[in-house]
Amino acid sequence: MINFEEELKNFKPSLEVEEAEQAIYDHQHVDMTDVMQEMLRELKQEA
Amino acid sequence: MKCFHCGEQLEEGGICANCGADVQLYKKIIFASNAYYNEGLKKAEVRDLSGAIDSLKTSLRFYKMNTDARNLLGLVYFEMGEVVAALTEWVISKNYQPRENRASAYLEEIQNNPGRLESINQTIKKYNQALLYCRQNSRDLAIIQLKKVLSLNSKLVAGHQLLALLYIQENKFDLAKKTLRNAAKIDANNTVTLRYMREVNHALREQNPGKKQKNDELVSYQSGNETIIQPKYLKDNSAIITIVNMVIGIAIGAAAAAFLLLPGMRSTIRQEARAEVIEANNTITSKNQMISELEDQVEALTDEVAAAKADGETAANQLSTYNQLLLAYGFYTQEDIEAAGNALANVNEEYLSEDAKTIYDTINAQVNEKYLESLYEEGYSAYNSRNYVDAIENLQKVADIDETYEDGYAIYYLAHAYRINEDMEHAKIYYQRFVDLYPQTDRAATARTYLTQE
Repeated sequence: MINFEEELKNFKPSLEVEEAEQAIYDHQHVDMTDVMQEMLRELKQEA
Repeated sequence: MKCFHCGEQLEEGGICANCGADVQLYKKIIFASNAYYNEGLKKAEVRDLSGAIDSLKTSLRFYKMNTDARNLLGLVYFEMGEVVAALTEWVISKNYQPRENRASAYLEEIQNNPGRLESINQTIKKYNQALLYCRQNSRDLAIIQLKKVLSLNSKLVAGHQLLALLYIQENKFDLAKKTLRNAAKIDANNTVTLRYMREVNHALREQNPGKKQKNDELVSYQSGNETIIQPKYLKDNSAIITIVNMVIGIAIGAAAAAFLLLPGMRSTIRQEARAEVIEANNTITSKNQMISELEDQVEALTDEVAAAKADGETAANQLSTYNQLLLAYGFYTQEDIEAAGNALANVNEEYLSEDAKTIYDTINAQVNEKYLESLYEEGYSAYNSRNYVDAIENLQKVADIDETYEDGYAIYYLAHAYRINEDMEHAKIYYQRFVDLYPQTDRAATARTYLTQE
């Protein structure tokens, strides 16, 4: 049985054009390669 | 693939040939990113857009500079109606890889059509407004707003899903099913769509227990303002159906012509025929009249010709009569009594004028007297000479002129001549004539004797 209120919570507002710039700035720029490089740097430093 | 440390092109092996950095793990991360990209691409090809988004996001979490994955992610967002999210991904992609990047073309196409972008932006605002209505419990307004949004941006999957949710809440399961089908057409394996669809089908089965649920055997799509629902496995027999429709149309047309047009045509033809018959009759009547008139003319002309002929004959006869009269007079002056008598016999007193008749009578009387005398003498002489043929000839002439000549002796001797010449028929005629004229004479007694003979 579908709960209307619960389902409604899953719906998020869609991005408008004016919000695009902020969305780009907020974009997560860290990926696995960045994590890997960070880990290698720390290992080097410890070494 | 370039080295993460120095940026040089990597070759086979786990060490960078340029800077000596350990790139083995790095390469594995890149390979994983590519693997998830491939998975996302396959899902996108079969319209599993939600699944493609998950795979592509995972690909980018491994390697954020996977340009292909990011561009594809943008395309998927665009296809689902999330235009701004698509723009975001393409801008980021272009930022990571400014040159030889397909994202430049996508961005250029949108920038070249600012009106379209504005229109899409308005639909997104309306969708957000509808979502607000839902949270404010103004479901009717939300439904109206969402219908507007979807009419402008039919690819907004979230809009279809939200509208379906509202319909489910309103127990309008048929409408919910219709809108969920539209969402499924865009994003086939969307879990939200599938979950709602299951709920709707369950509700419909409960509402119509005897009715068979066809589930996804039907396909519906928008055609302008109309929603077309047809079986999924519709056989396209359009060619056969077209031919059948044409045959039916021809049959209907023929029937219409037979029942509607033919009577009118027949009536027209009959009227024309009647008119022609009337005209023909009139022509015949006038011709008949003409024929009758001509016949009358012919008759009149024939009568005229006959009259003219008769006049001609009369004139000829008159001419002949006068010729004979002149001949008779000529012979009379030459004392050729017999010739004069013969000529007078050819004279017709009817054609003579009064004066001519006087002359005729005078000549006739004198000629007759002498003629008769001559004929009788010759006839009597021939009788006595036993020349009965000549006797008959001459005495017959006398009898024709005057039966009482010489007190009937002409016809008496004529009868004897016929008798002796064995012509009893003529003999009896003149014996009977003599008896009638001179009954008390001895000769009559003799004649009576011969009359009783056979």
